[in-house]
Amino acid sequence: MEHEKNFQKNDQFELTMIPGGFAKKMRTCLIFQAFRFAVINLKMLVVVSKSH
Amino acid sequence: MARLVIMGGGVSGHTAATFAKKWLGKDHEVVVVTPNANWNWIPSNIWVGVGQMTKEEVVFPLAPVYKKAGIDFKQALAVSIHPDGKADSDTPYITIKYTEEGKAGETEEVTYDYLINATGPKLNFDATPGLGNGEGQMGSHTVSVCTADHAVHANEELHKIFDKAKAGEKQKILVGTGHGMCTCQGAAFEYIFNIEHEAKAAGVRDMIDIKWISNESFMGDFGMGGLHMKVGGFVVSSKLFAESLFAERNVPWLIGAHVSKVEEGKAHYELLDGTTGVEEFDFAMLIPPFSGVGLKAIAKDGSDVTSDMFLPNGFMKVDAKYDAGAYENWKASDWPRTYQNPDHDNIFAAGIAFAPPHLISKPASSVNGTPINPTPPRTGMPSGIIGKAVAHSICDLIQNGKSAKLHDASMAEMGAACVASAGKGLTTGTAAAMTVYPVVPDYETYPGTGRDTNYTFGEVGLAGHWIKHILHHLFVYKAKLKPGWTLIPE
Repeated sequence: MEHEKNFQKNDQFELTMIPGGFAKKMRTCLIFQAFRFAVINLKMLVVVSKSH
Repeated sequence: MARLVIMGGGVSGHTAATFAKKWLGKDHEVVVVTPNANWNWIPSNIWVGVGQMTKEEVVFPLAPVYKKAGIDFKQALAVSIHPDGKADSDTPYITIKYTEEGKAGETEEVTYDYLINATGPKLNFDATPGLGNGEGQMGSHTVSVCTADHAVHANEELHKIFDKAKAGEKQKILVGTGHGMCTCQGAAFEYIFNIEHEAKAAGVRDMIDIKWISNESFMGDFGMGGLHMKVGGFVVSSKLFAESLFAERNVPWLIGAHVSKVEEGKAHYELLDGTTGVEEFDFAMLIPPFSGVGLKAIAKDGSDVTSDMFLPNGFMKVDAKYDAGAYENWKASDWPRTYQNPDHDNIFAAGIAFAPPHLISKPASSVNGTPINPTPPRTGMPSGIIGKAVAHSICDLIQNGKSAKLHDASMAEMGAACVASAGKGLTTGTAAAMTVYPVVPDYETYPGTGRDTNYTFGEVGLAGHWIKHILHHLFVYKAKLKPGWTLIPE
């Protein structure tokens, strides 16, 4: 698996987590990210309104 | 007619000035003294630094905006504060030195009824030998993305590296903090991943080793002691996600590091365990530590009372608890609420210019006694909120008298929404979108994490990039005082 190769590069990388293919794809999946855009904006608006 | 003088035209000062003028109208004066002719949306400088934006997209001239708003704009450096006037007058004033073309070097005394110190940071490059040029400016061994001009230069140097990589020469890039007491790890984080993203796009990623160096004791500290967020049913430290992103993008890290000296192609550092080392580089962006801009305070009799008004780091004292003592004693209530100077009730400090009571992150020093710990960030949202609250307080004092209640804006009671870019591109970009509530952890109210995990979160994706890009346009629009500007929250 391409995304797993980095675990072997050094001790730091070996002991953390790396997103798999699906997780990485979802980061730039237009439909999913459009949904996340709405959710994140709502969350940010809530925090902004709590702060003013 | 009262006069409010604001020193500094950055996020905090500009916010304060524009709201104050809106609320005071023509009845009172608002004066802005700032040495730069342009306003700069600093969060986008990292994109200028990789050639994804031009300087013109991140700056605009202040004079026409202030003229439209009825704000008196003096393009000048504030030099000293005289809070009690002088021998022959009780009227407080500041001294300024013009930087405006045609008047450069001329000095002037500007009286005030109320004063806001929103001067931001001095980029203290000279705190690390070789990082600065010995004369207060950036040296020649590294680049910076702290100002738009620095970022333009950084991009030029970066593309020379890409050209060498394309020609088959392996290159080393080092990005992070250039001193043990830096803040602004977030900007360095954004820059390193934007470089990585551009290197991939240019087809030279395999020819470039990219490494992170910082003063954080753990990845994901960001000067805030990190944060905890709910993910997949777990409450997770930002350390895990920060390390993950670096491992995913093949960027190893060196942390707990104080960069002690910079030479051509070399950064010398000391670690928390006292060991020293050298990182070689072909290209390095190292954030400088911040200090106050160096304002002096002069008493009525002409004596220097700077140490009464400012901490040794040059930041102005406000209503914070500066004797909080050891880390174990720190409380959320140590942090200022009104940003009013304790000795002069007509002087306030906003944004980066106020002196925090202490760090947010856990303090750390090397075994040799070298402090190696991030200092507290004051990002755009808190800076804007503080500027607006201070302006509101002053306007109430002017319009309703000295008994008017001041407005609160404690960083331990406000949140922040941050977006850290990990690469620009309409369909290929990503960013870490985060909220943290509150900015300064409050362990009494939120035992365990210090924050409300219902309102503290983070995720990486294209949506975050869209948000950052939209916010760029929104905040430039707001700063230009275009129609509806007050509807855009800080």
